[in-house]
Formats: sequence, C-alpha cells, structure tokens
Amino acid sequence: MAAKRRSRGESLTLRYAVLGAWALFCVAPVLWFLSIGLRPRVEIITPQPIYWPTFSLDAWHMIWEDWPMAKYLRNSVAAIFGSVLIDLVLAIPAAYSLSRYTYRGRDDIGFYILSTRMMAPAIVAVPIFFLFKNLGLLDTIWALMLIYAAINLSFVTWIIRSYMLDIPRELEDAARTDGASDLRILWEIVIPAVLPGIITAAVIAMIFAINEFLFTLLIASTPDAYTMSVALANFTGGSDGVIYNAIALVAFLAFTPVFLVVVAIQRHLSRGLTMGAVKG
Amino acid sequence: MARIELSGIQKRWGDNFGVRNVDIDIADEEFIVFLGPSGCGKTTTMRMIAGLEDPSDGEIRMNGELMNDIDARDRDVAMVFQGYALYPNMSVFENIRFPLRMRGIPRARHGELVREAAELVELTDFLDRKPAALSGGQRQRAALARAIVRQPQAFLMDEPLSNLDAKLRQAMRVQIKRIQRELKITTVYVTHDQIEAMTLADRIAIMQSGEIQQIGTPDEIYNAPANTFVAGFIGSPPMNLVDGVLEGGVFRSPGIEVAGLPEQRGGQVALGIRPEDCSIDGDSEQAQGDSAPHLTGAVYGVEPTGDLTYVTLRVSGKLFEVKAHRNYRAALDSEASVRFDLERVHFFESKSGSRLQIG
Repeated sequence: MAAKRRSRGESLTLRYAVLGAWALFCVAPVLWFLSIGLRPRVEIITPQPIYWPTFSLDAWHMIWEDWPMAKYLRNSVAAIFGSVLIDLVLAIPAAYSLSRYTYRGRDDIGFYILSTRMMAPAIVAVPIFFLFKNLGLLDTIWALMLIYAAINLSFVTWIIRSYMLDIPRELEDAARTDGASDLRILWEIVIPAVLPGIITAAVIAMIFAINEFLFTLLIASTPDAYTMSVALANFTGGSDGVIYNAIALVAFLAFTPVFLVVVAIQRHLSRGLTMGAVKG
Repeated sequence: MARIELSGIQKRWGDNFGVRNVDIDIADEEFIVFLGPSGCGKTTTMRMIAGLEDPSDGEIRMNGELMNDIDARDRDVAMVFQGYALYPNMSVFENIRFPLRMRGIPRARHGELVREAAELVELTDFLDRKPAALSGGQRQRAALARAIVRQPQAFLMDEPLSNLDAKLRQAMRVQIKRIQRELKITTVYVTHDQIEAMTLADRIAIMQSGEIQQIGTPDEIYNAPANTFVAGFIGSPPMNLVDGVLEGGVFRSPGIEVAGLPEQRGGQVALGIRPEDCSIDGDSEQAQGDSAPHLTGAVYGVEPTGDLTYVTLRVSGKLFEVKAHRNYRAALDSEASVRFDLERVHFFESKSGSRLQIG
C-alpha cells in the first residue's frame, strides 16, 4: 500500500512538472513582450544584456497620449465581434443545411464554401478595394466587419457542420415527433448541442480577425478604421525608428481581449458534446 | 385512441427494398409488436408510421385519415427511441414538458401534466436532474414519460429496452405493459427480442427481408408458425427442423422415423418439433412412451440452466435440441433416444417453407 501511495504521489509531481513546463513555454513570450513594453526604450536597444531591467511606463504613456490607441482598440473589438456575429448568423443555418438536408449539389456547395479559403488573399485585394469603394464603405469599421466575416465564414461553417454531424439523429427525430418545427429544432435542440463547436469556431474566427492585416490596411486609411494590427505597423517606421517597447505593449493589448474571451468561455470549450443525450 | 392501417406500404432505396408490401390493420388500443432480425424493415415501417420516413408506395391511415403527406410533427404520435434521445441541455422536467410546449398546451397545465407523467414512471424525485445525471433505467423512464405526457394517438417504441441490462429490462417490460393498458393508447413496438414480443403483444407481426411473414397473437405464432422462418425465430432454443420424406403416414429422415401420422399428404417436407415437445429416455420426470423412439443420436452437449437442462444430440451430422428435466445428465457421446409429442409436430413444405396442414 505504502509503495503504491508513494508512486501515485510521484506521478502527481511529475504531472505538475510537465504541465508547469508547458504552461511556462506558452506564457513566456507573453511575459517577455510585456517586460519589453514596460522598459525604457534605450534599455531595449542596448547591446549589453540587462538582467534587472528598469521599470518604465514611457511606452504606456506614449501609446495612449501620442496615439489614438483607445480608438484603435475600440475599432478592433467592434470589427471582430461584429464579424463573428455575422459569421454565426450565416454559418449556423448553412452548417445545419449542409449536415442535415439532402439536395442536389449539397456537397459541391460545401466544397465551394471551403474553397474560398484556398486562394491567396492578395489575389482578391484589388477587386475588394474597388468593391468597397463603390459601396462607399472605405475607411469604415463596417467594411472591416464584412471583410473579416467573409474571410472566416468558410471555416466557421465547416467547424460547426462537423459538430452537427455528430449529433445523434434520434434527438432531432424525437423533437420532430414531439411537434417541433425545423427552426425550433435548430434553436432548442441543435444549437445547444453544438454550443462547444460554435464557441470554438467563434474563438478561432476572433483570433484570425484580430491578426488580419492586409485587408485592414487596404480599407483603413485614417484612424477611424485603424485596428490594433495596423497600429502595430505604425511603430515600425517613420522618423522615430522602430519603437520596440510600444510595439510590445500594443501587441499585449491586442492579445488581451481574445485572451479574456477564451478564459471566460473555456468551460464550454472542453465540455462534452452531447452529454447524456443517448447511451454512450 | 387510434386505428392505424398500412396498405401496400413499400420503401425502396434505388433498387433495394427496405420494406415490401406491408399490409396491416392495427386496432384501436391494440399493442402490436414488429419482431424480426436486424435489417428486416421493422424500424423503417415504424418510422413511416411516425412520418420520419416517406413510403415509396402505399397508404398510411390513422382513424381513416390519409397520413402520407402529413408531417411528423402534425401526426400526434409519440416515439420512444432505442437511445432514449433525451435533450441533453434540458432537465428531466423540461424534457417531459417539451412536447407540451411544442403542441401549444396552455402553460398553466404544464406542471401538473409533467408531474402526472413522472408519477406514472416513478421519476418524480429526479425532475431537476439533467439526463447525464441519470442511470440507464431512469433515462428510459424519462423518455417514456415524455411520450406519455401529452396522451398521443399512438405510441411508437423502437427497441426501447435493448440498452438495459436483463433484470431492468424485465422490470421495465412489465411497467410498459401496465402503462399501455392503463392509458389504452394504441402502441406499435419494435424489437428483435422474442421474449419481449411474446410477453407484451396483443399481436405480433414477424418480419424478414422487408416482408411480413406472419401476423397473429403470440399463441398463434407459437403454436402454428406460418413458415420455417417463423418456426425457427420464435422459441428458445428454436424449433428443430428436419428435412425428410413423408409417405403413407410415416416421416423418414436419416436417424429419424416417425410413424402414426395422417396419411393424406406426402412428399418432401420439413418436420418441425420444439425442444419442449420432446422427451428423452432416461429423463426420470418425463413420461416414457411404450412405442419405439422417434429419434436416436449421440449426446453432443448437456447444458443445465437451473430450472431445466438443454440436451443437444447429433443425428446424422445435424444437431437436435431437447429440453429435459433439470436433473437430467448424460455422458458426452453416449446414445440417447427421443420421443416426440405427435400432437405437436409441425410440417412445412420443403421448397417454400410454408406450413402444411396435416390431419
């Protein structure tokens, strides 16, 4: 007994060690650029290594006072949440249709949706520019919402579709004989059952959207539509040179909203798909 | 509550028949069981009654009204599924209430109706739980309560007990039968388990390869199987079927001779005799006939089950089952003789397998 207990204790220590190492590996870059962001600029570009850095809020003051950072952050958050909302509104019914109804050309349509992700974005950059110019949407966050939604729609649809394929058909049959219409079934049975999939797709879409650079730069020409990713680029050129501490701090700020969202919903991410629905 | 008529029902997928020419008239308040091996079309037939599957041909009527083009949600039938199909995101209470909400039953009555249904299946203590927190038997009862709650025209049950262990299955079987009798709701029940079929049904419809082989009461099916498939499907162990020749009132097959049969029919036939209608020599509890034994073979296996003993004999290379008294024992490969109860011998045409009326 004693031997057994000790071995269990050892394996627990080992488990924590492995998990701790992995956590450190993941968190280290974040802490690293946070530490860069909170140092004076001179200290960062000095050739000698500095083991005990000086704490400084220079960059912090600079990004808020010299730049409309709050506006950039607001633009990012609005464009991202708006685009994810558009994606979900379009992707959930599309995924349901692709996973549940049989009709001619269904699989081709599914493939077409996916294939929109297969070309290099630069190919459509010029047409997209003129499209939004004609729509009068250049330099607006509405355009960003639409473009992010368009970029992410294909994989959001496919992720949700794959979760829907895993829902036991019996659940929907039961709801139908209980008297529910198709929309009711989608709303009350299917969406709750694929909620982890919807959340997963939404989080991935957010991450892609916050990192989107090419189209944002194309569409946004003033701070009215600049986002965090374009803001980062503002610190790399110009007469001041590359402002590393500001870049690091802005990167950290861009990372924060997605991080908070993931923390808030991680319970759903790891939850079982259709717990207790059928014997499994 | 409802009479259900199926006439000329077929289901085709391309060139394959799932269900072929099914005609059945299910009386109001009847408990009918579709019995057959997997893939025989029994579940498909039930799904067509539910409206979850469209028939390729034929008509489905409920209380005389044509149902073919009526959507599943408007048919007023309740279905219980093999996998229970409880909505995982809702509590047991919400699960049972779901059909009431969908059918627009006044909100004020929901609580009372749900509680009544839960009481009937003894589930009142678990109404707040999510399905994941229930045992298999409780989930099954929750599914049953969801079907009961709105008192539909008909219950459709698709192998509802097959995921439960043997003991629970028996308890639930009795409960289902009791509830059906109390509520007097027409019930169609699909199973591959002949014990469930025999114990529950008013009538059984035995299906194979999409076709109904026989419809009848459990007694009719057991006592007068329509063909060799039914004979071999009902009964445990199943009926012994021996091919041979019937001539002048005597049936002959290698190792088997049965005399004293009516003389009017003859030719190639299959003789059927149930293991429980045979007596084996040396079995102290069974009456020993004076006549010559009908069959002699070597003992291939002896399986005591507690309340009786299964004896398998090898007769000219084929196995033959007999039910003997629980104390019966015999050495392997020893010789044993068997007598048949001639009143309970069945004959079937060799080619078609259909039952022959003899005597």
